[in-house]
Amino acid sequence: MKKLSLRRSTILRRSTIVASAFFLLCSGGFLQAATSGAGAPQSSAVETIVIPGPLRSFMRMAAISQKVSPDDVVPLLARNIFMQGYQQDRQTEFLRLVDRYVQQARELQILAGSANNIHVDNCDDAGTLIQILGYRLREGCGTQKFFLETANPERAFLTIDSGFPLTDLEEALQRGTPFNYAYAPSRVPVLFHESDWITLSNGRKQSYVTLLDELINDPAVARLYWAMTKVDAETRVALQRSPGLRRLLPVAPSLDFYGSQIVIRSGHVVVPGGAWTQVTWRDLAGASPDNPSEFVPRLLAKDNGWLAAYFDVLSRISESQREHLTEKGRLKRFYEDLRGTDLEPPATHGVFRQVPDLLVLFTRLQWDPNGDPHVPGDLDAWKHILHQKTDSKIIRDWSKHNRSLDTPEQLLDAMVAFSRVVTDSGPLQIYLTMCEIDEQRAPGQRLSPATVSLLANQFPQFNNWYLVFSEFPALTDESATHFVNIADAIDKVSNESLRGNTLGAFQANIGLWQVLARQGEIPTADLNSSWQKTIDPFTRITSSTQLFDATRNSLGSLLTAAGAPPNSQPSDIISLLAGPPQNTPDGRRVHQELARRMDAVLEDQHLVSLDTLFSLSDGLDAMAQGKPAPANMLALAGELREFEMPRPIFTASEKIDWSPRVYTAHHAELQVQTDLTKVIKTPGNPAQLEAARGQLAPFLRDTLVGLNYAYYEPPGAQILHNNPLFVRSHDFTEISIVGTEQFWQTPMLLGVGTPAGGGAYLMGSLTDLPHALAMTEEDFIAPENVQALIWKELVPDLLVSATLPRWWNVTPVELHAVALYQRSGEELLTASVKDPQLRTKVAGILADRMTPRRLERIEDAMQHEDDLKAMLPRMMPADTFYLAAEFRSRYPAEAAASGPASQQLDDLVRQHPTDTSWQRLSKDFGVPHPTLARTYGREILNVKPFPFFGGYSSRLFGESWESNNLYWARLADEMGYPPVMLNRLVPELTRRMTAKIFATDLEDWPAMLRAMHETGDDLRHGKIAALPTATATALRESQPVQPDQSAPNGIKQ
Amino acid sequence: MKKYLLLLGFLALPLAGARTGASAQEETSRIRVSVVLVQLNVAVTDNKGNYISGLKPEDFAITEDKIQEKPATFEEGNGPTRRLVDVSSSDKKSFTEVADNVSSTPVSATDGSQRFAGANVFILFDTSNYMYRGFVFAQDAIADFIRSLEGVSKLALYSYSRDLSRVTTLTPDRSQVLRGVRNTVAGDDAALYNGLLLTVKDAAPLTGRKAIVVFSNGPDNASLVPPEDVAELAQSTGTIIYMISTQQAESEPVSTAVFERMSKATGGKAYFSKDWQDEKQAFNSIRDDLAHLYAISYYPAQNANHGWRAINVKLVGKNLQKYHIRTRAGYRVLQTAQTQPAPEEAAAK
Repeated sequence: MKKLSLRRSTILRRSTIVASAFFLLCSGGFLQAATSGAGAPQSSAVETIVIPGPLRSFMRMAAISQKVSPDDVVPLLARNIFMQGYQQDRQTEFLRLVDRYVQQARELQILAGSANNIHVDNCDDAGTLIQILGYRLREGCGTQKFFLETANPERAFLTIDSGFPLTDLEEALQRGTPFNYAYAPSRVPVLFHESDWITLSNGRKQSYVTLLDELINDPAVARLYWAMTKVDAETRVALQRSPGLRRLLPVAPSLDFYGSQIVIRSGHVVVPGGAWTQVTWRDLAGASPDNPSEFVPRLLAKDNGWLAAYFDVLSRISESQREHLTEKGRLKRFYEDLRGTDLEPPATHGVFRQVPDLLVLFTRLQWDPNGDPHVPGDLDAWKHILHQKTDSKIIRDWSKHNRSLDTPEQLLDAMVAFSRVVTDSGPLQIYLTMCEIDEQRAPGQRLSPATVSLLANQFPQFNNWYLVFSEFPALTDESATHFVNIADAIDKVSNESLRGNTLGAFQANIGLWQVLARQGEIPTADLNSSWQKTIDPFTRITSSTQLFDATRNSLGSLLTAAGAPPNSQPSDIISLLAGPPQNTPDGRRVHQELARRMDAVLEDQHLVSLDTLFSLSDGLDAMAQGKPAPANMLALAGELREFEMPRPIFTASEKIDWSPRVYTAHHAELQVQTDLTKVIKTPGNPAQLEAARGQLAPFLRDTLVGLNYAYYEPPGAQILHNNPLFVRSHDFTEISIVGTEQFWQTPMLLGVGTPAGGGAYLMGSLTDLPHALAMTEEDFIAPENVQALIWKELVPDLLVSATLPRWWNVTPVELHAVALYQRSGEELLTASVKDPQLRTKVAGILADRMTPRRLERIEDAMQHEDDLKAMLPRMMPADTFYLAAEFRSRYPAEAAASGPASQQLDDLVRQHPTDTSWQRLSKDFGVPHPTLARTYGREILNVKPFPFFGGYSSRLFGESWESNNLYWARLADEMGYPPVMLNRLVPELTRRMTAKIFATDLEDWPAMLRAMHETGDDLRHGKIAALPTATATALRESQPVQPDQSAPNGIKQ
Repeated sequence: MKKYLLLLGFLALPLAGARTGASAQEETSRIRVSVVLVQLNVAVTDNKGNYISGLKPEDFAITEDKIQEKPATFEEGNGPTRRLVDVSSSDKKSFTEVADNVSSTPVSATDGSQRFAGANVFILFDTSNYMYRGFVFAQDAIADFIRSLEGVSKLALYSYSRDLSRVTTLTPDRSQVLRGVRNTVAGDDAALYNGLLLTVKDAAPLTGRKAIVVFSNGPDNASLVPPEDVAELAQSTGTIIYMISTQQAESEPVSTAVFERMSKATGGKAYFSKDWQDEKQAFNSIRDDLAHLYAISYYPAQNANHGWRAINVKLVGKNLQKYHIRTRAGYRVLQTAQTQPAPEEAAAK
């Protein structure tokens, strides 16, 4: 059996019947720019081309979501052809199928005739049709029961894959009734004229008469076509006119990756930085921006595309950042830093666009009050950091030529240069992390040089854990140092089993601390001291017994810090993790449900309760002191043995032969062998009893690790409930892969697709656990659309945005404010149709958040009421939210004028300034940005949607989607749910949304928006039975009426 | 407070709130609710594979962890379910029951499609890249299988590649299922055991006979759950798994091993034909199997084991020892979380 594709990160199934062309040719695209206008007005009159047969069938074959507008069909076809249609200059199976389908559809089109209808009177009349379809009649016409069966598998596959109604045909023939199938050709818009593209192939051996054939047979033209669709209409027309498509063809890869931000207006290229940077851009590109026909091709071609990449990054960042980065000669200097001396590999090389870290750096860069870039610690610390040993030639070269580091500017020069280094733990990553930690701290409490040096020295090992210091600025330098020292000491534990258990227990308790701190259950004033008390006990671990005691002490401190009463049971931690105590019926109900869900995970993982473990330990301790064994000891010891390994399907030797990995369920197997009954029945000496206590340490580790897993359980999780080895198999010491020692790194998912391997499990640390669990569980969500697959690269971020936050402290005012901001944004857009001045203001604000192409479409829509009405559902909630907030900030006097929601919002803001503040709403309804902002703290960042990058940076794309929680909150407000219900609603709605996503490529924002709205509609129409409908009673009970909450504000009381 | 629910065969009835475990602490912190009616589907065949019909309840001896169990209901094929009352004397086992006038004679495997109207059958179709070349032939085979199952109560068609697709949820409408078959799309990785797990969970809440028939070429390169977990869940929920494959699967021994062992453990069978056009024998076999199964249920006797419980079914009497028995090997005490929730998506569709 020939394996056709092992590609796992695509979204539509058909697109995966290809070889690995994706890796060779994939660019990131900008589908949202190209497709945002489903139903939205087109700014230019368009010619159409003919697609034979129904559009739906063609889209199935071409791996295009059947939910996109006809406008987007040719762009997406072009995109799929150049990204997946060729491998080493040969057509892939995917493209061969498209090509064959087109031929088959043309045959059927002829059969359909001028009536555009395939008509068959009866069985005897069906021969030609059935032959074209690749089938034959089994038993033949006239027999009592006959069926269609495959005669020509190639044709039959096309028939099936394109969705031809074969069963209808079969049934009609069986019944002896006529079969009719409308088979009209489809017309779809094309950029410019069809002939403009066909003539690009002149000079080659073969020319084609239709654009469809041209695209299928020339991936370079297909890529240029796709690239041009991402440019705004005015710019596109200007480029077509001059320099023209033929001259752009060689730079199509650069235009595809980095061209979407190029804007030509009135014969000039709008350069990032404004008019006063034109001269610099002229010098850099070798042509004036006033001469687009020269400037654009040179920009795209210069330095192997690196200048275009630089232009693109500068265009994507905020205006205020751009001002900093283009002043004081920085614009030119930074480009020289980025360019360096080596232009290889080209910026257009590979599957994904380059320099994601430059975009992150320029997006997040902090400036001191004197205008200098921020320097965490001091320059001396950075001198040391920059001259550390490295494998990177770029860093070595820089160090060789830049011995001195005397100014913050020089440090920033280095960071820009290092943005081309592909790593996740280089000096730039250290810089970004330290800056984020400093950003959260008060000016007088920034990281000291010594702490920066220490954290930098240990960065390759512990960098993923530093996010806790940016999330919790109350943690001091001393706490950070303490953590590093203890973690370092744990690494040095020589016994591998003890080290694994210590790593697990230590990290698990830190994870629990994070949860309780994040939920506000540890008072802010106690955060630092409780942190230290939680980690202190692990300072020096030398035995399992000591580890057990240390872990218990650590947990005890944690419980105390979270306000647990002195007589509370250890297992009360579940109630604390479920959330702060609630005083409303709804709150209590949701709280109990969350606790039950965590309990269910612990049960299904067969983890031993903390109460049992601590009782056993106490009993053994008492026995060591000569006291008799407590009466329940044997029963408690029996609980340790309740866990059983799954019934084996494979023999031990088969597992070795068929499961290539090193790791086995050794940790779990040891637990199965643990039997304390003997030592309880016939007590040994104190040392033996102490050793017996040590045997409890692995159980304790697993239960605490299990609590972390349970807290972050993704909606729809299956592994957590069906593979009882999952938690126990967590490989903390990385014995699964020989030679790796990344104990503190984000966990990797191993054991996928190895049936004899015992199931998937995580290897690494517990940092970033929510994301790792989401990755593990995402494929258990069943897509609703035929041909759709779970969007592997995006869905984990969506799920994390739903599982990490909790909404216990959200007030009804906040919830309503979130809804009003979005509605107010929509009112501003609507009002702008009749108010040109307002339109300009609105467009100016939206420009902060969207690509020129998308902004152009919205500006076009703002010209006509009907167009705007069609556009509103296509606005992202984060856009309308930002629009209203920013408009209120820039034009406070006009804030209430655009409609009733704006008026209500204005009233609400005046009455509840804190609850309605941007800062508060951003914290409560934002999403974590562990890659972009290096913190799990929630925030709405207001950035333009990030393009898709490769490697770890792929998460930037998902992290820049900030609309979900805002939309769910609006829904909850509209439907009268109390805020605490968000704890239930958000995970469930996110799961359902995930199942509905029907996307075509890796930047398909509109597909997410569609899925979100469809989910919202389901909720509104009562189709989501699992969620209780809101009741006025519930609201009354859960929302105590505040004196300043009045009905006119729209808050449902 | 921890709560264990024992849901076996999903004919679960709450019987008692029997506590287990001896510790005082456990008594105050746990309630284990024993809720059980275990249902077994038992195939009895002779050496030639012919099904043996006409057996009586007392012809079967059932033990669970070597503890003798008393049948509560008994049903042959699609005959009426008979409630049994134990009227055994100390040395002779017997039950009072409804009409019992059949003889224990072998019957050949003929078309018994009308005899198992109560069965719910889930078809799970591998639409991964591994099936690409034979995709249309496999579709034809599945269509044939569906047509051959006239009389089955309800059918569902699911497909899987990396993800599961509930193409047609459980329905009595055969035409709808056939449409579903022709609407499947090929491509992507294969996560058979993920898909099978979700299918078993969908089947779990159903009462009566339920079977999953998997059409797959074998390889799995994307599952996260191991086949052991799926097999246990299928056994514990009384779901029979049949695997229909081709000889291509035999080139990968791990697939062959799983197919054979998993189907056997659940009381089903695995079939490896020459190619997808040659599956008739498998279809006939499954059809006959479903038609001739004895459905025997029992309330488990007191058993302190809350882990895996081994089931053993034997025929009683010298004359019957020549026959072979096929049924599931046991079950594991389940927890509620493993069997909830029912897929709302399926209901919505």
